[in-house]
Amino acid sequence: MSDSRWAGTAGGRLARHFRNFWPYYVMILPGLTFLILIKYIPMAGSVIAFQNFSLRRGIWGSPWVGLENFRKLLDYDDFHRVFRNTLILGALKTLIVFPVPILLALLMNELRQALVKKSIQTVVTIPHFISWVIVGGLTFDVLGASGLFNQIRSLFGLEMILPMQKSAWFRPVYVLTSIWKESGWGTVVYLAAISGIDPGLYESASIDGASRFQKMTRITFPMILPTAVTLFLINIGSFLDLGFDQVFNLYTPMTYDVADIFDTYVYRSGIQQGKYSFSTAVGLFQSVIGFILVVVFNRLSKRVSEDGGLW
Amino acid sequence: MSARNHIRESAGDHAFNLAVLIFLILFGVVMAVPMIAELAVSLSSKIASQTGTIGLVPVGFTFASWEFMLRNAGLWRSLGISAASTALVVVISLLINAMMAYPLSKRNFAPVKVLMLVVVFTMIFKAPTIPYFLTLRGYGLYNSFWAMVVPQVISAYNLLVMRSFFQSFPAEIEEAAEIDGCGKFRMFFRIVLPSSKAVIATVGLFYGVGAWNQYATPLMMIQDTALFPLQLKIHQLVNAASGDIAAAVKVSTANYTNDTLGAAAVIFSMVPVLLIYPFVQKYFAKGAMLGSVKG
Repeated sequence: MSDSRWAGTAGGRLARHFRNFWPYYVMILPGLTFLILIKYIPMAGSVIAFQNFSLRRGIWGSPWVGLENFRKLLDYDDFHRVFRNTLILGALKTLIVFPVPILLALLMNELRQALVKKSIQTVVTIPHFISWVIVGGLTFDVLGASGLFNQIRSLFGLEMILPMQKSAWFRPVYVLTSIWKESGWGTVVYLAAISGIDPGLYESASIDGASRFQKMTRITFPMILPTAVTLFLINIGSFLDLGFDQVFNLYTPMTYDVADIFDTYVYRSGIQQGKYSFSTAVGLFQSVIGFILVVVFNRLSKRVSEDGGLW
Repeated sequence: MSARNHIRESAGDHAFNLAVLIFLILFGVVMAVPMIAELAVSLSSKIASQTGTIGLVPVGFTFASWEFMLRNAGLWRSLGISAASTALVVVISLLINAMMAYPLSKRNFAPVKVLMLVVVFTMIFKAPTIPYFLTLRGYGLYNSFWAMVVPQVISAYNLLVMRSFFQSFPAEIEEAAEIDGCGKFRMFFRIVLPSSKAVIATVGLFYGVGAWNQYATPLMMIQDTALFPLQLKIHQLVNAASGDIAAAVKVSTANYTNDTLGAAAVIFSMVPVLLIYPFVQKYFAKGAMLGSVKG
């Protein structure tokens, strides 16, 4: 080190750094290359939102139009509808779907029958590993003309209805399928947090005469609250990420008016109808709003707890 | 006094236990019902399906729908395509991710801060769908098997999960090895990687599930039905009153309907997941913890 003539100079430090660390650069290279190819180049490709892009002329030959696509988008009824739908579904997800795993974990923690606990855990976790295509197929069948739902209705003398074709039913279906698929998986985090609670707390509560229910509401719940708050804030941060797969596999042309979200709209207008520049403008709008939300709520989450935040 | 108190409370506790037990069993049953009903439909006869009388048990029990589905060469082909692409994604992504996550876990490696910014930024700013589609097309992935592999091999989230695992790797072991003259490559491949089986299994599981269930990218990129992965094939089979299914259902002697065939297809595609599930279950808790609150 010190015998090098270059020691201390900037060039010398750099040379030493590379002599020491070159294996790290080699190890990082493949991953970095893929990140650039798959994530960054498409990001740069967003410039077509400011063009009148055509496949034939390509990115270099297409004319620039400034903010025209964005102006068009703000005047467009479809855009307002899609924006509203995204906000409503996001709000439903945050307010109704988010608390379910907390409640479920609290109750599962109270189960003393190990075998029952294990079975229930398995049944509620499996749907997480099933694709939305399959969940969509199941939903259409259960709610179909001869499905379970209508059989139960007919038991009560109610007429047959097709919920998947009715706008009024889409939001409940969206919420219920979200709970069905992800609430069991969501409990895993909370159950792990619960298992880290000091047993001494429960023992001293027992000595003071606390009931099981009181122990759940006064000890277990407050102890997992920080985890819940952190996850809640991260959740709001990804408010606009409702998931293309879920909506795409649950909606029908009859429910577009309430079901269409940014991702599905962009797919239809961009990929199917070829309105590349306009759809990119819609997507870019979503990405920018999403970016701001994540950054703001990540900062909040860090303020709430020390290990909070996504990064 | 205190004894009586204790007894009264445990009676209350007992009632509470029972209420919880009943609620959770009901919840579990409701969760399982759609899958059971689907299985029942797939095993029922044409008449039962048409009259809409199938509940949770098959009516007019028959394997007709399953026989038809299992003879559908396209379904097996799609299963093979999904299996092959998932296997490739898991192997490639684990290698790439582990290699990248390891240097990122080193505090004394100066460029870490910048590199982490590069990684995290991809999580919070998502490239819009259209440029993503056009870029992949530009790489020649349109109607290519590799469209189901290449875009899946790296995710910032999983990278952060691995990094946080490597950060907790005991520094003394590495220091001792370094004094013995162990180079950085050997350190990683011979010492760190072999003792990281838990995180490799967890992250491998995440990549595997993601690749197996991926839908949006193949939907955009794959038009050639001979290249359909299982998820697209199922979508086609369930929704299509078209092609081979529509023709098959019209045969008057056939003992199946669109509904029973669709149900068989749905259950068919769940089987691989159910088969693998018991083997990966033990890694859930670890994985959810590693990747939940903080990457």
